[in-house]
Amino acid sequence: MGNRLGRYAVWIVIAVIGAVCWGMLALARGETINAGWLLFASLASYAIAYRFYARFIQRRVLEADDSRATPAERLDNGRDYVPMDRRVLFGHHFAAIAGAGPLVGPVLAAQMGFLPGTIWIIVGVILAGAVQDMTILFFSMRRDGKTLGQMAREEIGPVGGAAALVAVLSIMIILLAVLALVVVKALAESPWGTFSIAMTLPIAILMGVYMRFIRPGRVLEISAIGVALLVLAIISGGWISESAYAEAWTFSGTQLTWALIIYGFLASVLPVWLLLAPRDYLSTFMKIGTIALLAITIAVTLPVLQMPRTTPFAFNGEGPVFAGSLFPFVFIIIACGALSGFHSLIASGTTPKLIQKESQVRMIGYGAMLTESFVAVMAIITACVLDPGLYFAVNAPAGVVGDTVQSASSAVAGLGFSVSPEILAQTASNVGEESVLARTGGAPTFALGMSQIFSALFGGVAMQAFWYHFAIMFEALFILTTVDAGTRVGRFMIQDLAGNVWRPAGRTSWLPGVVVASALIVGAWGYFLYVGVTDPLGGINQLFPLFGIANQLLAAVALTVGTTILLKMGKLKYVWVTLLPLAWDAAVTLTASYQKIFSADPKIGFFAQRNAFQDALNNGEVLAPATSAAEMQKVITNSTVDGILSILFAALIIIIIADAARVWFGILHGAKEPVMTEAPWQESKLDVDGRELVGVGSNRNE
Amino acid sequence: MNKALRPVRSAWGYLKEISGENAYDRYLAAHKRTHPGRPAMNRGEFYRWRQDEKYNNPGSRCP
Repeated sequence: MGNRLGRYAVWIVIAVIGAVCWGMLALARGETINAGWLLFASLASYAIAYRFYARFIQRRVLEADDSRATPAERLDNGRDYVPMDRRVLFGHHFAAIAGAGPLVGPVLAAQMGFLPGTIWIIVGVILAGAVQDMTILFFSMRRDGKTLGQMAREEIGPVGGAAALVAVLSIMIILLAVLALVVVKALAESPWGTFSIAMTLPIAILMGVYMRFIRPGRVLEISAIGVALLVLAIISGGWISESAYAEAWTFSGTQLTWALIIYGFLASVLPVWLLLAPRDYLSTFMKIGTIALLAITIAVTLPVLQMPRTTPFAFNGEGPVFAGSLFPFVFIIIACGALSGFHSLIASGTTPKLIQKESQVRMIGYGAMLTESFVAVMAIITACVLDPGLYFAVNAPAGVVGDTVQSASSAVAGLGFSVSPEILAQTASNVGEESVLARTGGAPTFALGMSQIFSALFGGVAMQAFWYHFAIMFEALFILTTVDAGTRVGRFMIQDLAGNVWRPAGRTSWLPGVVVASALIVGAWGYFLYVGVTDPLGGINQLFPLFGIANQLLAAVALTVGTTILLKMGKLKYVWVTLLPLAWDAAVTLTASYQKIFSADPKIGFFAQRNAFQDALNNGEVLAPATSAAEMQKVITNSTVDGILSILFAALIIIIIADAARVWFGILHGAKEPVMTEAPWQESKLDVDGRELVGVGSNRNE
Repeated sequence: MNKALRPVRSAWGYLKEISGENAYDRYLAAHKRTHPGRPAMNRGEFYRWRQDEKYNNPGSRCP
């Protein structure tokens, strides 16, 4: 008994620390609060969730059995099925799930204050996001690494399966467009940023040739060279911006859009070793390194959060960054870091083929997602250490802030915050930019916050410009890697679909097929990117909610599959583990879709927006922020397309859940013996460095 | 060597493992075990094969 108490004492201490930190966040008086409270509230919550909830899911709900051989052991072929050390696999899995998403969503959601986003990031990951990742990883592992789409088809049925496939393809397109939009918004009119990013192309090609032909497999030495060249590219960007070449490296959003579209097409058609693979290495090293550095710097400097706990926009839904109130839009805007359907694509497929022991799904599935959530917490801290007035001047669309620091200052005052024109001008000059106004998309805000945090520790104001562009480079680099990789994934999906109709089109090395499929996928995201860049209303606030809805739609697919499998396993008692997050996710996504489709407020509802602009156009009026009849027409087209997409997404969710409900009903009423598609039990002979084995032999189903 | 260097060495080992730097050594060992007597790929062939394999069956990543 005393022993038992001793074992739990440390957890009681952690719980108390966590509770105090949460209390400070929610209740402390005073204007501002230290970021340390937020940091430690999240860490304590993660620790408790990992120790107790994840363990409960591992042992009771999934009944992980370490005497059961995993596919990595049974099918070990030294290639795709390989038992991989859990720490290494954790690193790979984390690098695969953590992209730019957790850095963008929380920054945008900061317009409602730091508290709503923080609560959702931490509670969401513990009860929904990490649960989704872990259960899908486990179920895919039990099925020899089947993909989410295959599981949806086999466990639910052809309708659910087809809906899942459409969901994956459409989220991919919106995702790529939104990410590319973030890059365009960060690089437009910025010679420094554009030059540095452009330099990553020759650097990547150099690395690619080196790794392919000169010294194959010597990854670390060439990555070190690559990172050094990258830093040089950032520094030389500063020289360019002050030289006579600055003009030549200054591009408008539209020009950058075309550059990205051409680049995306080439990257999809060119051999991977030339561009994609080396870039992947570079961006992974940059990503892990920068995130670690950010965590350490925040923990050491403990900056103060300037953003209030909540802003009026949380309740009135009139925020300039995105429209709509706290429920449901915070839960849509912050997907990655709290609950991200995208992860279920990674958790099924590659990672499950590499796991040594079943119980490791806790560390790899749940643990990696907690780590991503921590990245999201750091992103929200980074956005909230900025002065709120500055935050809104950077994040409100151009139609709101205008072109001058004076107009921006008064626009921010109109929003109920304050920032002087001098500060806006000074901030821009400190980071070596022409202007920081209306630099929407999250990346510039993140970079401003990061430059402020880093320069407090390294180099002071003199280094702020370097750190700003370091952050821009870091974010743009791995967004572009995602654009490369995502375009390729989309291309393969289109080829796969086409191959069902006509064989040769399915061959991934057949050049005409490659070109056509690449053009289709690039054309699709390129369209939304172009529309976003030229949208008079500001593309991010129109497209980002759609992206969030699409991502949460995929999460609904994953959680539906998880719930179905739990029921088939006879786990009715524990079905709430996936069913509750599913219910929440469906409520959020459907409410958001409903508002996007039916709201009478033109700021929120796409069709209301369409009608307002159409009526005005018919009367020969021009509605702000549009400035001409052509722009009015543009708004009308965009809101129609976006509205139709909202309908499509909502319909997909309803179809999948309804189809699954049919299966659930059948199982519960015993109409049919549920068909389990698990691979049969086989004894594990694999030895993992003397760790305690979990649930040995608990569930043989020979 | 001495104790103080141990964390550095294990970090270095982790880095080599996670970056794929020692993937070839692992492949060779597995190949000898599973296909004894058959010729194995050389280092260059292995990494070229591995790279193509990885990107021809792409998973995806989180936004």
